[in-house]
Amino acid sequence: MATPVMDRLIRRTVASAVPLNIHFDLTYRCNERCVHCYLDHEDHGELTTCEVLEILNQLAEAGSFFLTFSGGEIFLRKDLMIILEHARRLGFDLSLKTNALLVDAERARQLRALGVRRIQVSIYSADPAVHDEITKVRGSLERSLAAIRFLKSEGLMVKIACPLMKQNLASYEQVFRLAKELDVPYVFDLTITPKLDGDTSPLAHRAAGSELLPIIQSRGCADDTRPASPPRIDEDSIASVSSSGIEGSAYDNRLCSAGHNSCYISPYGDVFPCVQLPVPSGNLRRQSFLEIWERSSGLKKIRSLRESQLRICSTCEIRRFCERCPGLAMMEGNDLMGPYERACELAELKAQQAGLANPVSAWHRGLAGRGAREAAHSSLSSSESLAQ
Amino acid sequence: MTVSQVNSSSIFRRNPKLAWREIDGEVVIISPDDSILHELNETASAVWHRIDGESGLGDIAKSLAEDYGAPIETVRADVEELAADLSAKNLLLAREGEA
Repeated sequence: MATPVMDRLIRRTVASAVPLNIHFDLTYRCNERCVHCYLDHEDHGELTTCEVLEILNQLAEAGSFFLTFSGGEIFLRKDLMIILEHARRLGFDLSLKTNALLVDAERARQLRALGVRRIQVSIYSADPAVHDEITKVRGSLERSLAAIRFLKSEGLMVKIACPLMKQNLASYEQVFRLAKELDVPYVFDLTITPKLDGDTSPLAHRAAGSELLPIIQSRGCADDTRPASPPRIDEDSIASVSSSGIEGSAYDNRLCSAGHNSCYISPYGDVFPCVQLPVPSGNLRRQSFLEIWERSSGLKKIRSLRESQLRICSTCEIRRFCERCPGLAMMEGNDLMGPYERACELAELKAQQAGLANPVSAWHRGLAGRGAREAAHSSLSSSESLAQ
Repeated sequence: MTVSQVNSSSIFRRNPKLAWREIDGEVVIISPDDSILHELNETASAVWHRIDGESGLGDIAKSLAEDYGAPIETVRADVEELAADLSAKNLLLAREGEA
């Protein structure tokens, strides 16, 4: 939930199209081989250290503030500390996403000294057999947990991210207890996406919606985080509030933050509205960030879209239970503005859980109606042909 | 540091641990220690920009009063109150040797 300060910040950066939030993948290389991963793990010509530092200069100039470095596994970049040091000099608020296999006590100390604020570590289960079977690296759970303890002992803000899939569905209670024992927030993520090249094979690992319902009911998903400290009171000249990062829904009628006040940068300098919204918007080896941000036709198009223009979803009676993602709609339904099966399925389950009797999404209702009409038409045709 | 401990000759610097950015004329600040997000209004942002670890609050107030065409006494009181507040929040650090 957005706090007043964050809400205001989101509103004014959306209104003036300031790229407040940047997700920057520094590499797609990885030292794990997670079964559901959407990346190819190859290096097709990553940005050099100099290129990354120059991009950071441009982002700071453009007003970007919340910067998340992710991958792949970011600690495979030998220049990571140089990049972090430069980013801190430029005043960015820094978050990292990592499996933390390469984080030892010394690295944790360095991260603390560099002013990294948040580190999200992927944990799939408290059971090494389950976790390591997903990552395909024996001993990976033990190493990731050791890293979390190093990071915590340095006072860093650590969060566990647990993508849920068939393989670890039964582990979610364990992960919850583990997070409690480690005294860290956690997030269960139900999003398993196709690969960036369109390969849909990761979707085979998705758990059925009906299997996810008990988890949705008991723990909440995706936005289930605990703030680090209680909110403070707004004042005249200084408004202060605790924050775990970009939150909230101050996006009014817009589809989401993508392209409005946030964007994604690939290890090759490609800019997209979001990692899950593969609308090519430009490349930072050929253009400056601001040229892309201000002039890209892809970004302009995304900014022009509104929820009310969703032909089917905007009429859906259970829209309030739906966490429709435009990127997934594009990747799974081939239509950024259209519905897609997973969103409808989960929305119906959540609506059912909230007490609605037999909730059906607008899309499913239309499909059922069309099916009935087609059946009737087919029957009529048969009658006609019989009559002829 | 309380308001009573702050005066025109007090000198502050920004806490080097902080992440901060000016966005559309207003400064936002976040500390990695507590994840508290702070937002300064335009006037407070103008003070923040002038905090350089060398200038006294009196000089900063004078510069602001000239730029904004405001009475120096009013501006000085506001700057001192703001500096005390930001210092209490650990966003500003008093120069060594200051109270």
